[in-house]
Amino acid sequence: MNFRRLWLVVWMAMGIVAGAGTLLAHHSFAMFDTTKSMTLTGTVTKFEWTNPHAYIEIDVADGAAAKHWSVELGSPSILQQSGWKFKDLKHGDKITVRLNPLKSGEPGGLLVDATLPDGRVLGNGPGRGPAPAAAQSK
Amino acid sequence: MNARFARIAVLGIGCMVFVAGETYAQSKSAHPDFNGVWRPYRGGRGGDPKIAPPPASPLALKPEYAKADETRRAAEAEASKRGEPIASRAVSCVPYGMPSMMSVVSYPVEITQTAKQLTIVTEAFNEVRRVFIDKPQMPIDDVPPGFYGRSVAHWEGDTLVIDTVGIKENVRYQNIPHSDQMRITERMRLVTPDALHDQITIEDPAVLEKPYTYTLAYRREPDYEMVEFICDNNREYVDEKGGTHLRTEAK
Repeated sequence: MNFRRLWLVVWMAMGIVAGAGTLLAHHSFAMFDTTKSMTLTGTVTKFEWTNPHAYIEIDVADGAAAKHWSVELGSPSILQQSGWKFKDLKHGDKITVRLNPLKSGEPGGLLVDATLPDGRVLGNGPGRGPAPAAAQSK
Repeated sequence: MNARFARIAVLGIGCMVFVAGETYAQSKSAHPDFNGVWRPYRGGRGGDPKIAPPPASPLALKPEYAKADETRRAAEAEASKRGEPIASRAVSCVPYGMPSMMSVVSYPVEITQTAKQLTIVTEAFNEVRRVFIDKPQMPIDDVPPGFYGRSVAHWEGDTLVIDTVGIKENVRYQNIPHSDQMRITERMRLVTPDALHDQITIEDPAVLEKPYTYTLAYRREPDYEMVEFICDNNREYVDEKGGTHLRTEAK
C-alpha cells in the first residue's frame, strides 16, 4: 500500500520533470480513491477485453443479496504487458480483486490486481499494481 | 587466351572493388533507419542516462494565458479532489493529435520510412500522421487546421527535421493553449542504434513568450506486434460541468 502510493508519487513527479503531461492517459485517475484499497471476492458475470479499457463485472456476496461491482482495468495493450490474455476470465469464474474504489461511492473501482481461478495474480499494467516478472524482463 | 582471361579477371575484380566502394559510400551517406516499433522511454531512477530524455525547457506563457492557466489548474485540483476530474477530449475518445499523440503513456508508435515519407502510426487510438520528406511547407494560413496538420521534413546530417503547421486550436497538448499560428519543429535522431529521440519545439508568437522545447525518448521493440485500439466500449462520460464519471453496471 505504501509502496503503491510511493509509485504514484514517483510517476507524478516524473510527469512534471519530464516535461509534464507526457504521461497522458485516456482519463485522469482522480475518479478513484488511490489511497484506499478494497478486496472483493465474487463471481465474474462479464470480462470485456475492450478499448479504451477492459472491465471485469462481478457479483459479490453481501449478506443475503449479491452486490454488483464494475472493475476498470487498463487497455488490452497495457494489460498484455502484465501477462493478461483475453480469455483469462469467463462467466462464472470465482476471483478476488483488489481495487481503488470510486470516490463517488458507487460500486466501481480501478483494479490493483486480480487473483485468477488458477492462482495467478495479475496487475493492471506497468506502473499500476505489481508488475509480474515477465513484464519486468522486457 | 590466358592473357585475355587475365584481362577479364582484372576487369572483373576492378568492377567488384568499384561496386563495393559504391556500396560503402552509399551506406556512409544513407540516412538513419527509423523503421520499426518504438516505445516511449522516460528514464527516471535507474534509467539509462544515454537514452533518457533531457529535461524540458521552462514553459513561458504570455501573462494573459498564464493567469488563465493558474485558474484552470486550481479548478482541476478541486474537481479531482471531488473525484470528478475535468475531462480532456480523450475521455470522449477524441484522438490526441499533434504533438500529444507522439507519447501516450507507454503506448508504442510504429514508423515506416521511405526516401519520400515517414508514416507514424500510434497504438493509442490508432492515429496516423504522414511526414513528407523534401517537400516545401505551405504558409500556415493555407493549411486547413486539423489534428495532425501538414508535416514536411528534410535531413540535417543524421537528424530528420520535421516542420508541422495547421493544428486545430482545440487539439491540446499538455493542457497548454495555442493559436492557429503554432509551429512544431521536431528533430528526430537515433541516439543509439535502438534509441530514438524526438526533440519537439513549439513556437507560438500569440501564446508563448519564447519557444517551448521538450524531448521524447523511445526504445526499439523489434518483436512487438502493434495491437488495435478501437474505442468501442467507452464507459467514461462527461457531466454538464465537464467532470469525468465512470458508468457502472450496478443493478
